Amino acid sequence: METYSMENNQDINIAKEILRIRFSQMIVNEKYGAGLFKIPIHLALGHEAIAVAVDSVMQENDRLVLSHRNIHYNLARTKALKPILDEYLLKKEGLAKAELGSMNLANEARNVAYTSSILGNNLPVATGLALGQKVKGSNGLVIVVTGDGAMEEGSFYESLLFAKSNSLAALVIIENNNWSMHTKIEARRSNIDLPKFAASLGASYEKLNGNDVYEYIEHLKKIKEKSLTSKIPTVLEVDITTLGGWYVEVDGNKEGRYIHLHAGPTSKITLAEWPEIEQSANDPIFVLQKYFAADILKTMSQEILKSIKEEISEA
Amino acid sequence: MKYIEYINELIGKKTAETEKLVLFGQNIAAGSHLSGLTKGLKVGDGGLIINAPNSENTLTGLGFGMMLDGVSSIFFMKQLDFLLLGIDQLVDTYNFVRRKKLTVSYTIVPIISDLGYHGLQSSFNNFGDIASVARIPGFTITNKVDAEEIINTHLVSSGFRIIGVSQRLFGQEILDVGKSYSNNEKTLFQYREGHKATIVCFNLAFPYGLELYNKLKEKGIDSSLFSVNAVTPIEWSKIIENVKKTENLVVIDDSKSENLSCDNLLVDVLEQCQLNNKIVVKRELRGNEWLYPNPDLLQIDYDGIVSQLSSK
Repeated sequence: METYSMENNQDINIAKEILRIRFSQMIVNEKYGAGLFKIPIHLALGHEAIAVAVDSVMQENDRLVLSHRNIHYNLARTKALKPILDEYLLKKEGLAKAELGSMNLANEARNVAYTSSILGNNLPVATGLALGQKVKGSNGLVIVVTGDGAMEEGSFYESLLFAKSNSLAALVIIENNNWSMHTKIEARRSNIDLPKFAASLGASYEKLNGNDVYEYIEHLKKIKEKSLTSKIPTVLEVDITTLGGWYVEVDGNKEGRYIHLHAGPTSKITLAEWPEIEQSANDPIFVLQKYFAADILKTMSQEILKSIKEEISEA
Repeated sequence: MKYIEYINELIGKKTAETEKLVLFGQNIAAGSHLSGLTKGLKVGDGGLIINAPNSENTLTGLGFGMMLDGVSSIFFMKQLDFLLLGIDQLVDTYNFVRRKKLTVSYTIVPIISDLGYHGLQSSFNNFGDIASVARIPGFTITNKVDAEEIINTHLVSSGFRIIGVSQRLFGQEILDVGKSYSNNEKTLFQYREGHKATIVCFNLAFPYGLELYNKLKEKGIDSSLFSVNAVTPIEWSKIIENVKKTENLVVIDDSKSENLSCDNLLVDVLEQCQLNNKIVVKRELRGNEWLYPNPDLLQIDYDGIVSQLSSK
């Protein structure tokens, strides 16, 4: 049903996807808080824009390789919540027949070829996939998602070096949320100058921020074309804020210490018909309002939430 | 023919006839070609030979990535201990890949540093430990028969495995003693059938076992000679039945692991067999001297064993 007016000629289905993935995560969060899951799950509230953008540029021969925080990409690729929920509930009807749970969840049928719970582990596998594409003469791009913590691992350097040395088309997306578990970058390491690092290996470097999914899609299309043409790996750093954290009081200061939402549910976010969490560019839902009027988005949200609840038989 | 020449020849024949096969590893197409292991190797149509950078974690994962995309590969590795840098790929990635019914092949061929003179790293003559971290099919090559059967059966076949070769044996003439039996999995080889003693070799100990067999034969003690070329436990009822007949067991395990493969057999034998003699030859590792450059030879009192088995 298409009852909404298009503004700025942007595809409204993209906005719907952002909302669907947000709502889906909020539902997972509710169930997580209610103690329904035995497995650890890493929510990616605030990560929706890059996931939808990646999904929208992927084609038949492309491969996606994920890490432990993968719910947003799996929701984007799978286009449904129920098989993912069932997987989290370790039901045989789950997306991976209860074999993978959350942290290793892949979906080969939708080109999510591999997912690893180990920091940096997926980079060598993605490099192998890219080499496989080369041997087969495929025109696909391997997209691997990692983070500002995993890029500290030696495999980040090793894999880029191998990919460049062997002219492999690969896109390494670094979701930089400034946290590795509960430690900020500044508290654990010196700065890594990624543009210089990439340049030192002859790889390309790109950066995205602002959570504008439409801008992300346009950039990704260009990056993909360039990587496939040049056969040079690209490092794409995406600034992200993982939403759902909270402050704890320290010495009378109510905002004494910030707790980053690494894994587990957050009590700071509750399911509502309007899923915006933060009124800033940190929240892709907020950014959608650049393109669509608030009342349109809210009407759309209600319908999407209803649709998801029907999908999981909770309407 | 030397051990390494024969293995190189077998590998070369297999890789040349396989299409779209990727061979990769450090120095596999340069210098000594891993002391001759990869010398002159060719691949069939559409294949690649990659002289790779020194990035063992990535190289270990590379093969799994290719598997997921339907491409077969072989990773040749200069020393088994280099594989320690890829352990998480052997465990976590393999656990992901093994769920799938893949028809493609990935084999890692490391050289086991059992020569001893490499110093501290030579302490890692522990092939079984590497393979057992994720119950990976693992095979060792000790002679002409097991080389031919293991390489022809497993080097390029569905799934993942590690095939270890002995650095100590590289320059020696390959042992060619024929066989009387090997199982389909190529995990168990029997070379001689006798009725007075059962000799079972583990890891890379076959040359020691053969020497013992010959010394016993000189004294008129006809022995059965087995080699378990894989990570244990395996289906070894053939050995158990033989021990029940001979009632004399000699196990030889030259691994430096705390968890010796031979121990699994001993448990089963002691549960199921009456023994006149149980002789276990393994390393006595005390202090730190075993870590330092040394000949790494297993100390065997051949005369003592012959004497013990002659007395019953």
